[in-house]
Amino acid sequence: MSEDIYEITREPINKLGLEQRLLTGGAGAIVTFDGVVRDNTKGRRVVTLQYEAYAPMAVKEMRRVGEEIHQRWPEVERIGVIHRFGELKISESSVVIVVTSPHRRVAFEACHYAIDRLKQTVPIWKKEIFEDGEEWVEGQRPS
Amino acid sequence: MSDNAVNITVLLFGACREAAGTGELRCTLSSPATAADAWSALKQRIPALAQFERTALVAVNEEHAGLAHPVQDGDTVAIFPPVSGG
Repeated sequence: MSEDIYEITREPINKLGLEQRLLTGGAGAIVTFDGVVRDNTKGRRVVTLQYEAYAPMAVKEMRRVGEEIHQRWPEVERIGVIHRFGELKISESSVVIVVTSPHRRVAFEACHYAIDRLKQTVPIWKKEIFEDGEEWVEGQRPS
Repeated sequence: MSDNAVNITVLLFGACREAAGTGELRCTLSSPATAADAWSALKQRIPALAQFERTALVAVNEEHAGLAHPVQDGDTVAIFPPVSGG
């Protein structure tokens, strides 16, 4: 859908702004997923996360996830996905996904699907910076 | 350059970029070439990338691709670890 929003940005994500950009009169539900930076991984204290993106391909793949959603849940009205890159502090949003629909159920389902697919297909990587070292997070190789 | 030359741009991301010490390089393959040929040429040039041989993913011109995917003159081949966004 042409009014959907797919962006990669270095700046903090404006979650409310994204919701407002996507809201239409026909929507009865907005479901927003906000992925934030956690301060620990397996007992190790995380200081910051560094995100790296293959930006043009990432936007293409996010758009593809959106197309899949519109096919599976035709009732969905608008989709917005913004992913950040660069260095993120604890509790900052790394990704925000917004789905609007006339009724809540499909918006919940579609939003859940969107974050799961994003983690499988969108070319973005993160590195955890610990107090005592750093490590790239290993993604799952698609089967 | 002969007609046989396939000049490509290779992009590396994440742990692959870090191991290679560069995110972008040019490579010349001979025609007909596949993504697997690009990988072989790359490993020869940068042995540190061999550790990613079994896990790395490939994209040709910004689309996920298998190793058998054909690569043509002017194409961009990206090599990267399984994604870990979100």
